Amino acid sequence: MKPLERYWFGDVALARPYLVLRFVLGLLAFDTWLNMMPQGAKYGVGAFNVAHFPWFDTFVPSSAFYLGVLAFTGVLALSQALYRPHRIAIVLIAAGYTLGWSCSLLDSVPYHYLLSLYLVCFVFFPMLSARAAFSRSDRAPRGSIAAYVLFCVTTAIVYFYVAAWSASKGQSYWLPMVCCVAYLVASMQDRAELPALRMAAPVLVAAPIAFHLLAPQQGWLPIYMIGIALVVFAPTQWLHSFGRALTQPARSLVEERTEGGIDERASQVFYLSLLGLVVAPMVSMFIDMPGVKTGCTLTAIAMLFVMGRQLYFTPRWRPAWRVASLFGGCLALWITVTASSARFDYYREGALDADRRGDHDAAMMFREKADRYAP
Amino acid sequence: MASSETEPPPADPSPKARRRTSVLISAFVVLQFLIPLTYLTREDTADERFTWRSLDPPAAPSCETSASLERFDGERESISVQKLIHQDWVDYVGQGRRAVVDAFLRKQCEAEGVMQVELVNHCDGERGTRAYNLRCGGERAHETVRTAAR
Repeated sequence: MKPLERYWFGDVALARPYLVLRFVLGLLAFDTWLNMMPQGAKYGVGAFNVAHFPWFDTFVPSSAFYLGVLAFTGVLALSQALYRPHRIAIVLIAAGYTLGWSCSLLDSVPYHYLLSLYLVCFVFFPMLSARAAFSRSDRAPRGSIAAYVLFCVTTAIVYFYVAAWSASKGQSYWLPMVCCVAYLVASMQDRAELPALRMAAPVLVAAPIAFHLLAPQQGWLPIYMIGIALVVFAPTQWLHSFGRALTQPARSLVEERTEGGIDERASQVFYLSLLGLVVAPMVSMFIDMPGVKTGCTLTAIAMLFVMGRQLYFTPRWRPAWRVASLFGGCLALWITVTASSARFDYYREGALDADRRGDHDAAMMFREKADRYAP
Repeated sequence: MASSETEPPPADPSPKARRRTSVLISAFVVLQFLIPLTYLTREDTADERFTWRSLDPPAAPSCETSASLERFDGERESISVQKLIHQDWVDYVGQGRRAVVDAFLRKQCEAEGVMQVELVNHCDGERGTRAYNLRCGGERAHETVRTAAR
């Protein structure tokens, strides 16, 4: 193998892609609901919009469209974090999330673009089960996962540019530059032929943590980046033990023996799954935000598409667990929106903006709802 | 016990798959390196999207925006920008983000009988006053800058 190929295709502890994928998807779901949804009232005002890319310019996203896309993306992301992810679902999450921010300059948060890049990397991650990553207690399983190395390089490129632009402005650049080098080093730490890196990599975690605690940043970027750094830089055995403890219920309850053939449970699972797919999106009826019902219904349709023929032609409980994860996603959306100020913020912002523009009917409608959902 | 069972790790890619993956990875990495560099060719220096120049939103300069349109019959009419679009768009217009200014002016041209639209940003400090003028039917507004020093 050529040196560059050795870099991309070297061994990685499976715990890392397993945990990083679930961490980002889980956090992304709550990020969309708590930080992006309250901004939804801005969309469609005055039928004016400028998109990030010119091919979208004729399209004016409405509030309902934006919230629907966010509900769809968030619920699907959380359901994939809860149960073994499916590549088609990751493609849909990447597409939905990118559509969500790119349809308007109203969302110009820099890290939303970074998350889209991460989601593209995730599409090529192996869709690992808890058992594949954590069942062996003696040693952490490893494998060649080029997409994970690409994920680390993507992060390193971000730090490289943060350092480069800082240098061009005459500001201090050494900390982001250390982060850049640290990610390139850490991506190789699980290789048997590089034992020195195993010693060095965990120490380097201090650089990204310090950078994200010290530098001013928007939104939840520090949470994402510190969490990612902990997974990428942690010593393999620590991460493996943590992953084993975390996935113990999943490994003993969810994962089943891999027997072939169709048994008598198949039809029960089929009807149960279908019922679940119909009922899960109904949770969104209690959320009372435009577009959310449509978003959740589309998530159920996406889940049906993801399961495909697996829905009937499987002897195992996998479809039922997938539907349960969809239920989990819809319930989490409902609890998050009702227990936080996200819904109130959405209606309050809508009322303030409508007042300012002199649109009294809209202001009254928004204010009524804001009063109803005031924390 | 199910938990004691193992699944094999993902198989090592074949040489052919490796070559294919290498090409894809190279393209993705090159793209990520090139996109931030497009900032150097951007006419609008306020547009820092996809560049990683800042992980924090830049502070908006304090500008007061006014707009007016001129009809074919010579009548001039002032436009209340704040009443037409959301405050975030007003902020973008105030910052002089060209894509938003041009889109806003084009939108005003959609009204009946409008010949020309003008938008003026009166800013504090070095930015001075910037006027954007669009003759309806055109794509891009003409920008005139009058700095405080002048």
